[in-house]
Amino acid sequence: MTEMLKKNADNLDHSFRYEISAKVGAKSLLKCIQCGVCSSGCTVTEYVDLQPHRVVASCLLGLKEEVLSSNAIWTCSLCHRCTERCPKNVDYSFILALLRNLAVKEGKIPKEYSSTVVTIYNNGYVVPYTGGLKDNIDRRRGKMGLPELVPPDLKEIQFIIEETGLGALAKEREDDK
Amino acid sequence: MKKELGFFIGCTIPLKLPHLEKAFRDVANILGLKLREMEGVSCCPEPVSLQSLNMDTWVTLGARNLAIAEKMGVDILTICSGCYETLKTVSVLLKEDKEYLKKINAILNKINYNYTGKTKVYHFVELFSEPEWLDKIKSLVVKPLDDLNLAVHYGCHLVRPSKIMQFDHPEKPEKIDIILQALGAKTLDFANKLECCGYCARLQEEIGEKLVEDKMTELCELEEGVDGLIAVCPACVTQYDRKEKIIARKSGKELDIPVLYLAEMMAVALGVELEDLSLKNRSVKPDKLIEKLTS
Repeated sequence: MTEMLKKNADNLDHSFRYEISAKVGAKSLLKCIQCGVCSSGCTVTEYVDLQPHRVVASCLLGLKEEVLSSNAIWTCSLCHRCTERCPKNVDYSFILALLRNLAVKEGKIPKEYSSTVVTIYNNGYVVPYTGGLKDNIDRRRGKMGLPELVPPDLKEIQFIIEETGLGALAKEREDDK
Repeated sequence: MKKELGFFIGCTIPLKLPHLEKAFRDVANILGLKLREMEGVSCCPEPVSLQSLNMDTWVTLGARNLAIAEKMGVDILTICSGCYETLKTVSVLLKEDKEYLKKINAILNKINYNYTGKTKVYHFVELFSEPEWLDKIKSLVVKPLDDLNLAVHYGCHLVRPSKIMQFDHPEKPEKIDIILQALGAKTLDFANKLECCGYCARLQEEIGEKLVEDKMTELCELEEGVDGLIAVCPACVTQYDRKEKIIARKSGKELDIPVLYLAEMMAVALGVELEDLSLKNRSVKPDKLIEKLTS
């Protein structure tokens, strides 16, 4: 059980719900009726500190810090059953992605998630494709008679990553990749 | 489908599991499916972390790939459920929200791309389960999979969320079963059929292990005897194949269900020689299945 949380109304972030619902595709947050269908069908419901319907309730109540620090927003397996089954068409899995985006802005990023952008920044692919690794991959493909890969122009990929705000994260972690 | 198809091979399959790409290309050749290579495309990008880190990064990188297709005058064919989820979601999102499209194009324009929102995205299951392709497949089967009992794993991103994917039933899908049945195989019903593989639940290893253990244990206990679990996504294939061995070691259970990619089974049925496929290139070897195919 989660510990009982007591909070004064003054300490709630009343605009939090609108911070989320203003984003593309997230208006549905405001329609939740707390029926719990999302939580009953959730693949990871036994593993989260806040079940899906409670994450939504917390967003609506303005418990921003609690939501953004919860393990629930990162534990999701992205099976999309919550979104599929919601009788009010609340797009929970999409809203969860937006909540992760907000947590990232506050620097709360599990390393399991941040390493991917470094790999894409440096390779254009989600799998390392440089130096000896590239040679091995090319040799293996050649043996199977598969066509040569024509990777993307890395400058373009890096420009997009930087322009959309993940440049610092991609470069900051470059040293410890 | 009016346009030609651009072949979006993704990263995980061509870089880590090229034998799956080989199987698919063999199938496409036999069926006479004309594909154009998409050069200069990047990672789709991968839907789990990129979307989580920054929606705009995810959508813009995806839109760049869609814009390349538009420039080539093709729609996109994917062979990975991750690519399918990303590219299809981005295409639907940008089709429905013109303001957002404008914002994304403002970035793309700076590197000389522009996306007008016209690229359609298909997964090969979506294509081959169409009646005309099914007929063609049936007519070209030279080695029917009559003796095989196969379990299908749909995976989550192929069919959900249905308001985006819009092709099979989100909770009772049948398209992969239909393709395998066209090849002559028998497909099985089982309780855990629609369960997630857990690959995307990255923070807690135990989630994936539990999901894989539950599914594989059920399959091992099925009376019919399962010759293989068939999936259409490199993440699901890898997850089941790798975790199955680990769990067997930990739990002492005998889990020996091989995991195969749908295109591999199609290639076999359409007459590709077994030695030209890499069916043994996985942790759990499909020895019994190969025995049945060669006897």
